[in-house]
Formats: sequence, structure tokens, C-alpha cells
Amino acid sequence: MNDLIISADEVQKTYHSGVVEVSVLKGVDLHVSRGEMVAIMGPSGCGKTTLLNCLSGLDEIDGGRVVIDGIELHTLSDNERSDYRAERMGFVFQLYNLLPVLSAVENVEMPLLISGVSSGDARKRSLEQLDQVGLSGRANHLPAELSGGERQRVTIARALVNRPAIVWADEPTGDLDSETANGIIDLMIELNKTEGQTFIVVTHSREVGDRAHRIIRMRDGIIEDNGLT
Amino acid sequence: MEQIFGLSMNTLMWILVSVTSLGLGIVGVLAWKNPVILKLGVRNIPRRPTQTVLIIVGVMLSSIIISAAFGTGDTISYSIRAQAVEGLGPIDELVFSTPTNAEGGFGANAYFPFTRFEEIQAQIADFDSIDAIAPGVGEIAAALNPRTGLSEGTLRVTGVDPKSVENIGFFKLISGEAALLDTLGDNDSFINKKAATLLDAQAGDNIELFRPEGTVTITIAGIVEGGGLAGNDPTLILRLSAAQKLFEREGQINSIAISNRGDYVEGAKLSKTVTEKLRLLFADEQTATELQRLLILPNVASAIAKKEASLTRESKDDIIQLRSVLASGQTDPELIGLLTNPEIEKIILDALEDEGLQDLQIEADNLFRKLSEFRVVEIKRTILEIAERVSSFATTFFLLMGLFSIMVGILLIFLIFVMLAAARRSEMGMARAVGAKRSHLVQMFLFEGTAYSVVSAAIGVAIGLVVSSLVITAANSVVTTFDEDFRFTRHFEPRTIIISYCLGMAITFVTVAISAYQVSQLNIVAAIRDLPTPISVRNVRWRSLFGRLLTAIIKPFLLALRALRSLGTLQIKLTVIHIRQMIWALISLPWEIYSSLMRILWRPATQGWLIVILGAITIWQGIQIGQAAPFTIGVSMTIIGVGLMGRAIWSKTKVRADRRDRITYSFIGLTLLTFWLLPFDTLEPLTGELDAQFEMFFVSGISVVAAAVWTVIYNSDMILRVLTIIAGRFGRLRPVLVTAVAYPMSSKFRTGLTLMMFALVIFTLIVMSILSNAFNFSTLDHRTITGGWDIEGEVNFNTPIRDFDNAIQQEQSLAREDFTAIGGFTQIPIQARQIGAKDQRWQGYAIRAADDGYLTENQYKLEHIAEGYGPTERDVWQALQDNPNLAIVDALVIERDGRSEDRQIEFQLEGISYEDEEMLPITIQIREPRTGVEFEVTIIGVLTQLSDSFGDLGFGMLIAKDQLDKGLPFPVPITTYRARLAEGASAPEIKANLEKVFQKNGMKVAVLQETIQQDASAQQAFNRIFTSFMALGLLVGVAALGVISLRAVVERRQQIGVLRALGYRQYMIQLSFLLESSFVALLGIAIGVALGATISYNIVADVRESANIQTLSFSIPWMRIGGIIAATYAFSLVTTFLPARQASKIYPAEALRYE
Repeated sequence: MNDLIISADEVQKTYHSGVVEVSVLKGVDLHVSRGEMVAIMGPSGCGKTTLLNCLSGLDEIDGGRVVIDGIELHTLSDNERSDYRAERMGFVFQLYNLLPVLSAVENVEMPLLISGVSSGDARKRSLEQLDQVGLSGRANHLPAELSGGERQRVTIARALVNRPAIVWADEPTGDLDSETANGIIDLMIELNKTEGQTFIVVTHSREVGDRAHRIIRMRDGIIEDNGLT
Repeated sequence: MEQIFGLSMNTLMWILVSVTSLGLGIVGVLAWKNPVILKLGVRNIPRRPTQTVLIIVGVMLSSIIISAAFGTGDTISYSIRAQAVEGLGPIDELVFSTPTNAEGGFGANAYFPFTRFEEIQAQIADFDSIDAIAPGVGEIAAALNPRTGLSEGTLRVTGVDPKSVENIGFFKLISGEAALLDTLGDNDSFINKKAATLLDAQAGDNIELFRPEGTVTITIAGIVEGGGLAGNDPTLILRLSAAQKLFEREGQINSIAISNRGDYVEGAKLSKTVTEKLRLLFADEQTATELQRLLILPNVASAIAKKEASLTRESKDDIIQLRSVLASGQTDPELIGLLTNPEIEKIILDALEDEGLQDLQIEADNLFRKLSEFRVVEIKRTILEIAERVSSFATTFFLLMGLFSIMVGILLIFLIFVMLAAARRSEMGMARAVGAKRSHLVQMFLFEGTAYSVVSAAIGVAIGLVVSSLVITAANSVVTTFDEDFRFTRHFEPRTIIISYCLGMAITFVTVAISAYQVSQLNIVAAIRDLPTPISVRNVRWRSLFGRLLTAIIKPFLLALRALRSLGTLQIKLTVIHIRQMIWALISLPWEIYSSLMRILWRPATQGWLIVILGAITIWQGIQIGQAAPFTIGVSMTIIGVGLMGRAIWSKTKVRADRRDRITYSFIGLTLLTFWLLPFDTLEPLTGELDAQFEMFFVSGISVVAAAVWTVIYNSDMILRVLTIIAGRFGRLRPVLVTAVAYPMSSKFRTGLTLMMFALVIFTLIVMSILSNAFNFSTLDHRTITGGWDIEGEVNFNTPIRDFDNAIQQEQSLAREDFTAIGGFTQIPIQARQIGAKDQRWQGYAIRAADDGYLTENQYKLEHIAEGYGPTERDVWQALQDNPNLAIVDALVIERDGRSEDRQIEFQLEGISYEDEEMLPITIQIREPRTGVEFEVTIIGVLTQLSDSFGDLGFGMLIAKDQLDKGLPFPVPITTYRARLAEGASAPEIKANLEKVFQKNGMKVAVLQETIQQDASAQQAFNRIFTSFMALGLLVGVAALGVISLRAVVERRQQIGVLRALGYRQYMIQLSFLLESSFVALLGIAIGVALGATISYNIVADVRESANIQTLSFSIPWMRIGGIIAATYAFSLVTTFLPARQASKIYPAEALRYE
């Protein structure tokens, strides 16, 4: 595989809850090329979201190695990882996870502000990004004033506004009706094509998986099928 | 302390105990019946210990303030009582001869024959309420102990009859043995401990007493404990015969001490009966008959009858009894007993004044003065009553001062429960969905709230008593300035602890109940889905609203009827059910009526017009009774009503609801703010002068802060916008700043409440600090207060200095050139009445009869100069020297702001006010009470309010001493000397020299600058105590921020995860929380400082204008205020630090998983 952007080897993750230990990732190997759109699928509790969190640096790993764009993420300090996320990654969550007290455009510009982009530039780019996801007319609305699909579009706009190398999406269509979900997938595919960003999408949806470049299937904390064959 | 707000403490305690027990009982029964709900309610307490601790801290504040106030009252009451009991010993009443029966001149109580005492003794022999009766002689003398060189200018010399000691109590040597009076020779004496300390005297010392007749040497036989006949002041005790001989008063005495049966409590209770008996005994029947004749005159009888309506119940009963006895035509003991009652005398004279019967009032006044041969002073009962009044006042004052904090505490409790409700909203919605009733939700919160209040009230009371102890310790350090001997002794009655606990609990309980009711009104679907609560637009018909009210009233009667019917058909079970339903309907009737009325009134109230009508009525009422509080509250209601009316009209248009609300509420907030910040006299041309007491501080504080917070909160997006622009300059901190402001502004109610708490407390502290600074006279040039004098020397009446100026010149240790001016005066009590005034009775006042030096050299400022005697102050003083019939009064005897200055002086001039621009000469009559000598003087000026208004500088009208010398049959010596010192002269050195040189005259010298500074410092110290007490409210504000931060961490856990995913570093999360609480704290501080400074400016300007104190200036004590702000802010940061740190430590993936 050429130009790997994500390279994970023997990734292990165990959760400790009181006396109970749950081994969620049992030595996962995963490699993703730049510009690829990969869907991770599998039954509930198989470790999809944990894998996404561990690969993106949102969570610590207990064993193995994760290299993102040539950087071994888990050797970075918490601050360095935060900066890396702000500059190189975008996130889309199932429950949108927008900040309810900020308007759509303020939500979108948040990663830019965190990265130190000036207010004027941040606002301009955020509006452009909202326009790209078809929400230019809703920029000043609070999340509570938007529909589910609109909220997810804002989340996507927020994930992409910083031109990240990788977009991590955890069940982006899980809370949407099928029509809206299709719209969101269309949008992600189009952005993947036009912007060339790498998309890692955790999903239960067969439709989403079918439209990705490949599907990685997981079961009981290991990768059953990496979709390369 | 026995009473508060006119209510007996015992009654209050039992009411509170009953209410609290009832409340706890109801909660207990509910808990027993609904154990699951109880479990649901109280399980939240151990779940979050930090939050529980913060809630308890916030909730206990009311108890702290209440118990601190009551505890302080207890201590004050106990200490004054203890001093009275210790000082007076067994003495309950003192009897003195009335002035008209007096023999002799100044310096002592009037003398009367010893034989008269023996007659009285015989007359009361069978009166079993009296234990003992003792004749006495008492005078003041200057004394010197040659062995130690120490002197005392005002040593009390008492003559005690050895025979009376047996009944009234023996003297006790400090060694513990009995001091036997009858073993003393003519020149031997005992001395009490206080005098012995002052003179450093011991047994065997020869004390020199300086008397007008010459120096007498007395040998100290022993030192006795003070109290009772041994006196509370420095006292020398002689045998009665020796004292009579010393004062050349053989066969005469000048006082009788009486001891009632029983201990001091029982004795004080008997005081009224004993006094009545004695007054009856001392009354002159002939004068009583003359009074009776006067009182039955038709116009007098009618005046008294008219007065009756305005009296208290007890006084009214007395007057009814008097009228009935008068009607009988008999001059019997009952009538005499009533006429000798000073309260009845006052009512009668007031009644005659009210009806304009001046001549009859003069006649009645004269007869009342002639009525009694002796004056009976209920000394112990009076002091115990003073103890009661002072302690009640102190408690009330501290409670009032604590009102802001209590208010803030209530807001916090409300806030806590609103937040708890918000956190458990979906849980509660779920509970409702599966069948829980609203009442179950109420109970759930009630159980939890009760658990908090039971614990927090107990801790609060304990802390309150500690606070009270601190207040007492601080007060003791101030009290030493005024009285070296008096100290407050900590004492807390168990009753106080019970009252404070129950009151604290009750406040919490009621607030929790209201909050719980509010919380229970949730919409199930909205709660489960965590959506905003939809606004109900249900339009209920008037008919159904009134129908509900009517049903509630009729229901108990209908059920009673049904019960009767069932009983008639012998359906016992049904009868019981109906009776039970009827009882419940009766119990819930008040609530049903209240809630129905509220529903009926709700619509007109929200549409504004009802509030406008009520506001207008309140304004009218305020103007009618001349009170600022109802007037200003009325105006505020009207403003709110007008705003709501506008909103109601607007709602019929297409204007967006949010825009409509913003404009309406901003209008209300800004208009209220403007109204409350107007200078106090702005509306005076329309309303006339309105009276404002301390409650106005509370009302204005709450109103102005509420208006400001209201305005800020409804325009929060503008603040957010401005801060976003500003934040644009802070690089990486920009997003942190934006979220820190956006979050609090999105929870308007919660932020508004917290802002209100902070702003209220800061407001009160700022006002206290600025006013305390403005009214700090310690930095003022003392000469503007003392009339230009630097030192004051006071000598004993019996040993005056013949020519002070000459004596200074003769003394080598004193340099005359150190004194640039010398003057002297004598202050004597007199009675006065104003010719042509409405009130024609003789009222108490004082004269300061000054010599030429004093009149020439003083530099007093005059507030008023009567027409024809100016234009300069010097002209007025010259006029006084030229014409001894002229006088200048101090500001205490004229009214200010439409009311007399708390009537410190009985006599008040009519027809002149401190604020008047012009003054006409006023003629008054003066009477010297001992001799009955009368003369007239014309008042031609009024001193400024500041003149001699500090320490114990004295008061009284200033006249030329010649006037008194002419009028009185005996010489009046100068007893007070004042001097202005030359530049560079050392006041402390001169003081020491003067006291040494004039030791034989008993001279005590005060450096006036020190006196004023001490007094001003003591006032400042008291201000600091009060300010610290009020600062307790800050605890609540800080606790509120802590609670909010803790809740925010829980509520925003997922959002914290998102922010971390987006690239927020740990410190940014922590900073965001700290900035958020800083934003609220600093905004509250800013509102409090701005409003406090503005209101203080208005107060200072108003006092400067009305009291004409030009030296009074408004300035902000930045150091102190900076300290308050820094401390408040620092504490708020400390409280939010932990939750903020906790938030920053959350791992992003973990936070994102949280639901």
C-alpha cells in the first residue's frame, strides 16, 4: 500500500471497571492510505468506537503502536496531541455534539480559533464551509434551532473547516432518517473526492459501508476482515 | 433578652418549635408512607459529597446570621443586667426629695430632715413587698492619697446608717470578712475597690478630701467590695453621722435606698407595686384635689377622651380607669395613685397640647410638679428595661443588617434546587411517565431539602454563636474607649439556640417547598427528551376560574350536609368518609382560596394593568403617610406594570417574541435603574418630604441590583458580542473566552440569580465602606467640632477654681503663653418652654453658662443666625456678651428632615427646622428646677450639628454666665474650662501639668483631639464589625459559584470531550471554567461597585445638603474596596478551582462516552 496515513500495529486496549477488566482491543492491525474512505463495521460492543478513539488519540492505548502521517501519536504529550488534533484531524459524532450555547458558525469556527487563526479569517472560512455543506442561511442559528440533518452538516463543516488530513466519523448517520443519512453520506463522499481527505467512518449502516472504498470488519476486539482482499 | 419585634421570646420559641415540629412531622409521615420516594430523595446526598458540602454551606447561612444576631442580643442583655445587679446589689428603688422641697445649693441631691425618713419608715413598716429601707447622704468630692500622690476628682462620699446595713446587706471586705460600719470613728471610712485602685489606697492610708469648707483627712479602715450601698463608682463610705458632720448636714439626709423582697428578678417584678405605694404615700392630697378639679373641666375631659383612641392598650385601660374615678368625684387613693403615674401625667399634658389648651396645660404641669414630695426612681427595673431595649435593638439591628445575606441565602437555596431539578429533569420526567404524581416529585425534593436543612441549621447555629463571640470580642475592644469597667460577657440562652435553629430551618424549609412545587410543574415529554418547557397558552375562562373558587368555599358545607344525610340514614361508614373529606376540605380551604385567587389575578397581572393599579394605590398610600418605602415600591410596580402592558399590546402585532421581550424587559430594567439611582430629593417637589428609615436601604438595594441584573441578563448577547470582539486579540485564548461567556449567558435564570447574589453582597459592602469613610470624622480638624478649643478641664462642683487664668499665670509649671485663649462654663440642667408654642409644659434641657472668655474666644460655626443679630458669627457672640438675655441653642433641639433628632433632648423648639434659610428670634422661658427661679431668654442662633457632637463634650444652650448669676440665689461656679493652645505647645504635657496643679480641685483634663479621634475610631470600629457581619453573605455568593461549577462539570461532560477532541488542551478546559466563574463574579462585583458607589454618592450628597455638613465629601476608599474585591474574587476562584481541575482531567474519549 502506498502513502500510508494511518498505521496501527498490535493495538490493545483494556478497560478497568472496579474488579472487572474488559479487553476491548486485542491486538488490532490497521493500515489506511491517504485519501481513502474506510468504513469500520461490526456488531455492537466489538470495539469500533474504541478503535477510532485510540487511533485518533482521544484515548490511550495499552499496547501496540499507532503512527499517523509519520508521527507516533502515543509518544506525544497530551498538549501536543491536542494541538495535533486541532490542526490535522476532524471529528463527526453520532449525536452531533455541537456546543449548544454557540451558533452554527461559531461552532464551525471553533477548531480554527483553537489553531490560532484570526477571528476574521476564521469567520470567513467557517461561512464558506457552511456554504459548502448547504447551510449558509442557518449560520447564526443555535443547534437547538436546527434539524438533526442540519446539525450533522454543521458537525461535518466543523470537522472539515481546518482542512484536516483525517476525518474521524463515529456513526455519523446513526441518529438520522435514511433520506437525511444518504444526504450526509453523499456530502462526505463528495468532500472526500474534492478535498482528498481521509475518512474513517465507524458505522452500522450497510449503505454507508457499501459506499466507502473498503469495509473493515471487527468482532470481539480484533479485525476479522480488513477489506483488502 | 425577653422580646423581639414586640413579641415575647418565649412565645416566638413555642410558635417556631410548633411550626418546625409540624413541618418535620408532616415530612416524617410522608416519608413513612412513601419510603421509595424517600429513598429516591435522600440517595442523592451521598452521591456527590463535594456538592453536598457546598449546599450545606450555602443553606446554613441564614441560621448563622440569625443565631449570631440573637446570640449578640443575649450577651448584651446578660452583660447589662449583670452589671446592674452587681452594681445595685439589693437596692431596687431610690427616693430623692423633689426640687421644690429642696434645701441647699448645687452639687448634691436635695436634703430633707432625717425625721421625715423615720416617718416614712413607720408608714411602710407593714408593707411586706419591702425588705429594707436605708437613709443616706451622698456628695461628690475631689480626693488625694498623699502616700501615692494619686487623686480622683469625682470621688463619691456616702454616709450610711449602720442600723440599716443589717437589713439591706453588709459591707464585705475584699479579704472576705464583714466590714463593720459601727466600728468606724468620725474620720474613718471604708473605700470600695474601684476607688482604692484609682488612689492606690490601702488600709491605714489617710485620704485628703477637698471640700469648699477646707481639706478633711479621712483614714481608710478597709477596702470593701463594690455594689449596693458600697456603690459602683469610686466611693468612700462613712458612718451616716460622720458624713452629716463632714457635709455640715446634721439631722439631714438626701436619699433613701429601698430593697424589695426576694432576689433581683423578684425584686424588680415588685418594683411597680412598691413604687405605686410610695408615690401614693408621698402625694399631696390637696394638690391631687386641685388636679381633679382641673381634669373634670369639660374641655379637659374631652381632650383626654380624644387622646384615648391613639393610646396603647395598657395606657388606654389606665385612662379609662382615670376617667371613671374622676367621674365619681372622690379624691381617693385610687385617683391619687393614677395621678402620680408619670405615664398618665404625660398623656394628660399631651392631650391638652393636642387640643391647644396651653393655659390649662401650664396649670396642670405646675400641679403635677407640686403633687409629690419625693421622687421615686425604679433604678433596677429601669436598668433591666434598658438592658432589654438595647439587646432587642442590637438583635433587630443585626438581623436587619443580615437581611441582605439572608436574602442572598434564600436565593442560593432556590438556585441549588433549580439546578438539582435541571440535572434530574429527564429522570423526573421518566418517573412521571411511569406513574409518579407531581406530589411525589415535591416530596422527593422535600425529603432531600429537609435532610440538608436539619444538618445545615444545626451547623449554622453553632457557627453563628462563634460569629457572635467574635462580634462581642471586637465590641469589647471598642467599648473600652467609652467605659473602662464594662465588658460584654458571652452568654447564650438555650432559647436562642432553639429559636435560631427553628427559624433557620423554617426559612430553608419554606424555600425548598416553593422550589419543589415549582420543579414539579414539568412537562413530561419535554423533560424526557430534554427539550425546553413549552409555554402554556391555555386560555382558561373566567367562569371556570371563579367556579373553582366558589367550589372550594362551598365544598366543606356540601360534605357536611352529605355527612348529616348519611347519618340520618344510619350509614355510619359513609358518614365517616364524608366527615373525613370535609375536614380535609376545610384544612385545604386556605390553599384553595389562595391558589384560585392567584389564578384569577395571574392574567391581569401578566398583562400589567393590575400591577399598574396596585402600584398607583401604593404610591398614593406612600405620599399620604409620608413614607418613602411604599412610594418607591409603588413607582417600581407601576414601571413594571407599564412595561408588561406594552408587551401585552405588542403581542397582538407581528413583532418577534424575543425582540418584544428584550425591549420590554430592557425598558423595565433601565427605567427602574434610573428611578432608583435618582438623587433622593428629585421627586420632592411632587411628593413632598418622605421619611426614609433603614428599611429603605434594604428595599433600594434589592431593587436597584435586581433592575441592573435584569437589564444585563436580557442584553447578554450584546455583552457576548463585545467580549468576542475583545477576545479576538487574545490568540489561543479566544475560544476559551468565548465559551466562558457564552455558557453563563445561555442559562439566564441561573446566571441572573448568581449575579444578583454577588452584586447584592458587594453592593452592601461598598455602601458600608464608602459611608463609613465619608462619615469618618477622625481626620477632621477637631477645632471645627470643639468650637476652636484644644483641651478641656473639668473640676469638682464643690471645689471650683476662683480665677483659672490667674491661677495659670501664678503656676510655675504652666506657661501662660502656651494658652492662646481660655474660657469656661457651667453646665446645669434646666427646664424650658417656648412662649406661644403648642406645647406649654416644662421640658428638660441644659444651660451652658459661659464666661466672657468663652463667649469671646470660641470659634463655633452657626447654622442659623436670627434676623437682626448678624451678619457674622462674631456679632452674635458679642450680642450674647452685651445682652445676658440672649442665647444660642445647639442643633439637638430643632427638627431636621421633618423630625426631631431622635428626641435626645426633651425640649424642642417649634417653628424652626435645621434646613430653614432664615430664622427669627425665639423667646423661651427657663426654669431652674431646684429653686423654681424663672427667666426669659431669646434664642438668636443655632450651632451647627457637628458642634460638640463627639465623645462627652456636653450640650445645652449657651448664655452669658451673668444671666445665671443674676437669677439664682446662690453662686454658680465655673466647672468646665476650655483652652486653645499655642502653636507647638504639647497638649499631653499641659494636660499632665494642669491635673497636677489643680489636683485639689479634682481637675480632669481631656485633650479634645484625642477625645474626638477615640470616638470616631470607635465608630469606625463598630462600622467594621457591621461590615464584617454583612460580608457573611459573600460566603453564599462564593458557594453559589462553587455549586454552579460543580454542576456545570457534570452537565457538560460530553461537551468537554468534544472540545478536547477539537484540540482544547487541559489547561484550556480548566481556564474556561475559571473564566466562566470569573465572568459572573466580576460582572456581579462590577454591578455591585457601580450601584453601591452611586447610591452612596446620593446618600452623602443628601446628608451634606440637609445637615449642611460641608466637610462631608464623597470619596471611594479604593484600598478597602480593592481588598473586598480581591478577597471576593480570590475566594470565588478557590471554590471553582477544584471543579475546573476535575473537568480538565476528564479524558476525551471517556467524556464522549458519557450520556
